[in-house]
Amino acid sequence: MAEITLETLGHRYAPGLPYALRPFSMTWQDGGTYALLGPSGCGKSTMLNIISGLLRPSDGRVLFDGVDVTERDTGKRNIAQVFQVPVIYRSMTVAENLGFPLVCRGVPAARIRRRVDSIAERLGLARHLKRPAHALSADQKQLVSLGRGLVREDVAAILLDEPLTVIDPQLKFELRRILKEINEEFRLTTVLVTHDQTEAMTFAKEVIVMNLGEVVQAGAPRALFERPATEHVGWFIGSPAMNFLPARQESGRVTVPGTTLSAAAPEGLGEGRLSLGFRPEHARVVSESPQVAGQVERIWFEGSDEVVALRAEALTLRVRLPGGRVLATGDRLGISVPPENLLIYRDGRLVA
Amino acid sequence: MKHTSYLALKYLVVLAWSAFVVFPFLWMLSTSFKSANGVTGGATWLPWLQYEPSTAGWSALFGGPGGVNILRPYLNSVIVTLSASALSLVLGTLAAYGLSRFTFRAGPVRNGDITFFFISQRIMPPIVLAIPFFLMLKTLGLLDTLTGLILVYIALLLPIAVWVMVDFFNSVPRGLDEMAWMDGCTPVVTFLRVILPNAMPGLVVAGMFCLIFGWNDFFFAFTLTFTKVQLLPVSIVALNSSVTPWWALSAAAIVSVAPLAVLAFVVERFLSRGGLAGAVR
Repeated sequence: MAEITLETLGHRYAPGLPYALRPFSMTWQDGGTYALLGPSGCGKSTMLNIISGLLRPSDGRVLFDGVDVTERDTGKRNIAQVFQVPVIYRSMTVAENLGFPLVCRGVPAARIRRRVDSIAERLGLARHLKRPAHALSADQKQLVSLGRGLVREDVAAILLDEPLTVIDPQLKFELRRILKEINEEFRLTTVLVTHDQTEAMTFAKEVIVMNLGEVVQAGAPRALFERPATEHVGWFIGSPAMNFLPARQESGRVTVPGTTLSAAAPEGLGEGRLSLGFRPEHARVVSESPQVAGQVERIWFEGSDEVVALRAEALTLRVRLPGGRVLATGDRLGISVPPENLLIYRDGRLVA
Repeated sequence: MKHTSYLALKYLVVLAWSAFVVFPFLWMLSTSFKSANGVTGGATWLPWLQYEPSTAGWSALFGGPGGVNILRPYLNSVIVTLSASALSLVLGTLAAYGLSRFTFRAGPVRNGDITFFFISQRIMPPIVLAIPFFLMLKTLGLLDTLTGLILVYIALLLPIAVWVMVDFFNSVPRGLDEMAWMDGCTPVVTFLRVILPNAMPGLVVAGMFCLIFGWNDFFFAFTLTFTKVQLLPVSIVALNSSVTPWWALSAAAIVSVAPLAVLAFVVERFLSRGGLAGAVR
């Protein structure tokens, strides 16, 4: 287990090329759970490969417990990784797979057996120990991969690279639960890479949102939800995506034209493209003096909630309303948003 | 009913094909026990069965009248084929792993070019190589020796081994190497314990190619040896004289085909029994 520090870490695949990962600094606490969230090609895998040592960063340093490991080979970093596509040693049995990291480290056979037995027991693989590993199902293979990390008592970190992508939906839920349980039990530094916001938000204590090679925001799931640092985060996290309405600065306030949605402009707001953002969840239906009034364009039924697309002249916005309402497309609807939930963005970045 | 006739048809086809394949061997076997009369005279009623058995053909193989002793050439062939194949396989597998996993650069030359360079050695007709090989072995004082032949065969078999193995290593996912490194494996252990078992079928295929080529080669065995060392194909040809000794040639053909036939049989069993099950995706 280790605390992982990334110091102005960045990577370009060749000098002169744009950054695949723009330099940033961050510390991941020992035993913490982190999620790297972002669309494909955003630099998540680059970051993971740098941490595991498969890739040498062009900029910055990686430290494990304060020790610089930037130039250290993968094999000496004591990292475990669960890949997107289950990777196992096909020519070995399940037990041999689990014990392999210890074999590589020259641990005595008797100790390997004890350790493998206890981990297999914990992961529910005890029945399968004698079976050839290739005969396992995809989710069991992922557990074996995880197990290869867990058998090492001193493993620095476990990296999960979209481990649930190829798992059947029903098993996915189960495997996610096991991953979380194991993590709480073993208190390992765990980094989950995913493009699934639910997966990231439910698993990690801290979510790192990435886009186009840049770390756009890192924080607790709630903070990301309540105060997205950029329009991209607001759009990427939450379902439906956050509303961003083009706004203008007028006499000390930022206002959305054609509505009375407005927020006090902070000092020194400066020039730029302004927008007001709010979560669909934060809108309230009001019958008198609504801030925005419009026509119901579409309704998505989501169990206890209904998501409504509201059209007010040139604007389209989405609101999440408690279900049980008798709404039809074409109905008039007025909404208000509490002032504390209205956020001002300039050029796509949160200012207030 | 339909099922039965389908089955009958299936067996008929298989039977016909088997007869087609096996027949030459049976013919060889019967001819090897015939005398000159039996071969040329032909049978009155039952072809291939009605003749007077003779062991002349077989005795000719072991230094009998009109023959040569093939025991020594046979042993030579075994030594040369096995050692050249084994060395080619070892060197070829190592080279192929390197070419599959690491990036080499020498000016404009890349991994693909190096792989092609290996294969290109087999593009030209063998006769082109005969004189250079002859001169090289002469300079080294290795003409007419087993060592010289082994070296030449390695040069000929290595491209095959590299070619086959590069393909097989490329089909083994790179994630496997990376995982092994993360598990703390050294590159050598990764290669031996993780990647090689996954390339087992490739090793068998490359090994078969090497053995078949090495065992059957006549041309280089003929040009690079004279009197001291002789390989089996050369000594079989030496059986020939003004009167073609069909009986002796047949017996020789049988003994020279036998090891490969047995090998093919064993490998086929091994493959179908699942000796390699799970080694490939």
